[in-house]
Amino acid sequence: MLKREEWLDLARKLDWNYSYVEAKDVFPETLSGTPWLPHSDWKAWDEPYRTSFAEYAHNQHAKELSVQSVREAVGRIEDFQALDPSWVNALKLHSATLPLAEFAAVIGNLRAARFGRDSAWRTTANFGALDELRHTQIPLLLMHDLVRWDPQFDWTHRFFHTNNWVAIAGRHLIDELLLGANPIEFAVATNFVFETGFTNLQFVGLSSLARGAGDRMFEKMVGSIQTDEARHSQIGPAVLKILVQKDPAYAQFLLDKWFWRTWLFFAVVTGFAMDYLTPLKHRTQSFKEFMEEWVLDQFQKTLLEYGLRKPWYWNQFLEALEVYHHMVYASAYTYRATVWFDFALPGPEERAWLREKYPRSWPQLDPVWERVTERWRKSGPGVEWYTHGATPVTFCDLCQLVLCGGTPERNTAQTLVREGKKYIFCSEPCRWIFEQEPARYASHKDLVKRILAGEAPANLIDLVTRYFSLTQGTWGKDVAGGAYAWLREPSGARAAP
Amino acid sequence: MLIPLYGFLRGDTIGLVILAQDTDTIREVGAKLQEAASVRVAPVSAVDVRYRGRLLDPERTVAESGLEALERVDVSPREAT
Repeated sequence: MLKREEWLDLARKLDWNYSYVEAKDVFPETLSGTPWLPHSDWKAWDEPYRTSFAEYAHNQHAKELSVQSVREAVGRIEDFQALDPSWVNALKLHSATLPLAEFAAVIGNLRAARFGRDSAWRTTANFGALDELRHTQIPLLLMHDLVRWDPQFDWTHRFFHTNNWVAIAGRHLIDELLLGANPIEFAVATNFVFETGFTNLQFVGLSSLARGAGDRMFEKMVGSIQTDEARHSQIGPAVLKILVQKDPAYAQFLLDKWFWRTWLFFAVVTGFAMDYLTPLKHRTQSFKEFMEEWVLDQFQKTLLEYGLRKPWYWNQFLEALEVYHHMVYASAYTYRATVWFDFALPGPEERAWLREKYPRSWPQLDPVWERVTERWRKSGPGVEWYTHGATPVTFCDLCQLVLCGGTPERNTAQTLVREGKKYIFCSEPCRWIFEQEPARYASHKDLVKRILAGEAPANLIDLVTRYFSLTQGTWGKDVAGGAYAWLREPSGARAAP
Repeated sequence: MLIPLYGFLRGDTIGLVILAQDTDTIREVGAKLQEAASVRVAPVSAVDVRYRGRLLDPERTVAESGLEALERVDVSPREAT
């Protein structure tokens, strides 16, 4: 009988020369990606996992059994009801943004499974598609039962089907990153930058946070997903290695573009969870510390390894790491009825922790929380509107997220006039990305332009209910309705140091 | 005529849409932004309004100041002279 190594490549890396058609007809550049290289240039493509289909099915089956057994043990509604309410809202945020984005990744992987330029790449992408289907189904399954308890969990499925402002931003990113990208761009953007750079390690961090919060189900889910991510993300480095040799400028462009694009969404989803929605007693490190320890060091080493430079805006990124998710959280807290999860108001102890973790930026942010806190004191519990904005906010014409770039002292929004149309961006990198491929982005209307065109209502209640698909039962509120024990103490009695 | 502007108030965490009229004075524009952001930033009695770095005369109107729809204006507490 043949040994595994003797037959494996017949199953996973088997290419042949075409005699009836040209390779360019089988792999058209528009579908396979740029640069179009002869197959001899891709021939050395390989990844370290080298999995056969039988091994894949066997391993995935074991993972499914493991998730199922944890679900049976700790996946009941009463298990979730026992969790800290803030953490439950981190779950709602992740649950909504994760599963249908993963489903879009099925499409991206399937495109690579057909149009990737080497058979081993196509094989791994096929497994990647199956992985992402699993990552769609697990959260949809686990959160479905919770809808009976809390209708905000309905957004696990509903989110990407709505015109909620976060969903518009999410789709703008996901459509380009996962649905529209050719296999080369997909491999660099999704497999290398997003998965290798951010989510693979993020899942390790989130799994640890979930354990601290006593959420064994979420811990198991993200841990199980991470093992898949670790495998199929290896497509990225393998493609990048060849791309850097053949077209280093394009490789650098894709890196610069996608690091910024994915960072913004990542910062919102993960920054909120780590620095605000995880109960203070369970926080082991700040979002910034997590990024520095788990993401930045590793990512910079990888770039060096491939002969790539850090993105040109690296210093701006480091500045944003200090402050961006705080800017968005404070803004979103005061527009919480526009989203599908609840927000925690940072109290004196949380603010002291944030000051310690973010000594450079927090002094500018703390007055905002002092103002919100004073208004809660004045209104008393339950009066949500008194700490809620009513004026339309502004959105970036690239990332479609709110204009929260920079600091309270200096917002980094940038304007641009192109062919008689005005655009605004949250940051210089967003403007730069837009200017590199304007035809790709120019026709997309941000929410403000939809309102001005009469396509979306200007009145906030109408916008929230008719356009964002929220109801009084599902729109976001303060997680405690303003009924915090520390709020009953006199102003300044426990002021942050 | 309605002139929607992108307003950025110093001390705030987000840009807001100011629904200004072309007949509004710049002082009124500043007041509208302060009111809209008052959940996060306490209003002050006097503010400066800048457009492309240029300090605008508070008594002039939006139209007289040359502001058009979807321009960025920056509002900050008036600096002591």
